[in-house]
Amino acid sequence: MSPSLRRALTVLALTLLLVPAGLLTEAPAWGEWELEELERRLGFVPRGLAEARTWVPGLLPEYTLEGAPPVVGYLLSALVGVGAILLLFGLIYLVVRPRSHAG
Amino acid sequence: MHIPDGYLSPATYLTGYATALPFWAYAFRRLRRILEARTLPLLASLTALAFVVQMINVPIPGGTSGHALGTAVLAILFGPWVAFLSMSLVLLLQALLFADGGVTAFAVNALSMGLVAAFAAHWTYGLLGRRWPGPAAFLAGWVASVASSVAIALVLGIQPWVARGPDGRPLFFPFDLGVTLPALAGSHALFFGPLEGAFTAAVVRFLSSVQEVAREPVP
Repeated sequence: MSPSLRRALTVLALTLLLVPAGLLTEAPAWGEWELEELERRLGFVPRGLAEARTWVPGLLPEYTLEGAPPVVGYLLSALVGVGAILLLFGLIYLVVRPRSHAG
Repeated sequence: MHIPDGYLSPATYLTGYATALPFWAYAFRRLRRILEARTLPLLASLTALAFVVQMINVPIPGGTSGHALGTAVLAILFGPWVAFLSMSLVLLLQALLFADGGVTAFAVNALSMGLVAAFAAHWTYGLLGRRWPGPAAFLAGWVASVASSVAIALVLGIQPWVARGPDGRPLFFPFDLGVTLPALAGSHALFFGPLEGAFTAAVVRFLSSVQEVAREPVP
């Protein structure tokens, strides 16, 4: 393993440890309010937002696992996401077949 | 921010897809050209890092929260096209696995948090990175975050103008540019930009202190 990869994985592991801290705030991102909150601010809910469909329900919607404590669902989501990304890059490797030496 | 489904008019998100498709195709060709077997695991790890850092929500005054993107690190170390592609992958997984960011809005999200952020970081670092690598990495992260927020604010802010119902009420995102620009650009300039900057400077410095990662901006 190259030193830079080892360092990148170290940063990744440390950041994973910090993931539960992401749950400490209840505040949503700007604009990503619940529809009730939008109605309170605006007096109505725009039709497109009210009728918005969730096209893909997702494996762990909103980074939660039903029935599990939030922190468990959140950490599991982080691990699933990391795993999926590494897997996808494995597939990219098979498709792209990068050269093994700098040219 | 990740634009959810229902926030953008079909005309907007279809334009987003039409715009992003040629960029994705070109970026994939660039990836094929520059990728080495040696650096692929590093790229995969830093893409995973971008995903994880986006889960660490930080509250700011005013009742909202946000997070770093991780795009600037990728743009500095691998160039803007690869960073765009990596970030698109992150956003796609977020939309498909976690219902974070809309499937319809995916292309717009990828253009703003991927393409715009990556080129903003790349150009900033290209301008200053040779002489002042540390501050340049911080500034690259800040500019990436702010530029991305401006792009999102523009797309959201034109929605009331793009589509209105017969009663004159907006059909999709209801606030115009006068609201979106100060809210999004302001919060990113003050809070999330410095966060992205600090994250970028720390990670680039930590990785650059070992030999084989290029210190020079990727052409």
